[in-house]
Amino acid sequence: MTVRRPLVFSQLEAGFEFPKTSYRVDASATTAYLAAVDEPDSLYREDGLVPPMAIVARAMAALSAAITFPDGTIHVSQSVQFLGLLSTEDTLIGRARVDRVQRRGRLHLVSIELSADRDDGQPVLRARTDFILPQDGETE
Amino acid sequence: MTAGQKHERSVPDLVAGATLPALTKTVTQENINRYAEASGDHNPIHVDEDYARRTPLGGTIAHGMLVLAYASQAMAAAFGRDWLVSGRLDIRFRTPARPGDSLTVTGTVRGVDRADDGDDVTCDLLCSNQAGETVLSGLAEVKVRH
Repeated sequence: MTVRRPLVFSQLEAGFEFPKTSYRVDASATTAYLAAVDEPDSLYREDGLVPPMAIVARAMAALSAAITFPDGTIHVSQSVQFLGLLSTEDTLIGRARVDRVQRRGRLHLVSIELSADRDDGQPVLRARTDFILPQDGETE
Repeated sequence: MTAGQKHERSVPDLVAGATLPALTKTVTQENINRYAEASGDHNPIHVDEDYARRTPLGGTIAHGMLVLAYASQAMAAAFGRDWLVSGRLDIRFRTPARPGDSLTVTGTVRGVDRADDGDDVTCDLLCSNQAGETVLSGLAEVKVRH
């Protein structure tokens, strides 16, 4: 079995695309998510819907697994756009792409675009996340 | 499934200046740990109190995405399913949230663009802690179907 090591951020360049991922946020994961964020399930339970921020969390987790960020990394801003409902029965295809890598003095600014589509092609989510990383903080 | 089948919302007058119902949450280490489990983000700055104490932050902090989830929850409470199918958030994280913090999310309608298929509503969002510090701020947009 091949074990893929996480990338370090210095390997990232604008345009880099992370390997596509496939996942579900099933009923059990949805229940756990709603408990974690202390959100009532009334908007979701009847139709078996997934809270859109649970999809964002899952996409961010996939990103965290793919990159090693150094100590001192700051998540500075986040945008998300919800494009369609997702059922706990649906399978998602997640994609991530480095949009921008900039140096500002001793800091790096890294912007990553995330998307999640249902496996029938229906868009569900678009997101953008911005991190500031210390220039000398590489961990590997 | 049809987008916008239900139109529950709790903002009676969609006009500039209208306020959204405030949402208040207390951050606990237990919430943070649960979020780490649910999201798969086990960064020690969130869940390892010994580690976090030795960092410049001096203790654990909540995931930014947990705080953002509270902001989204406030919008879902205000706009119901319309938020789930057309919501948009664009925010900046300003100050970390820590265990014990009481966070309040407030929103104010900045503008409403009327259209045949619904109203495009833009809101200013703010999440503050008990000391009045801004934890996150930004914009939220949603199309409210007629």
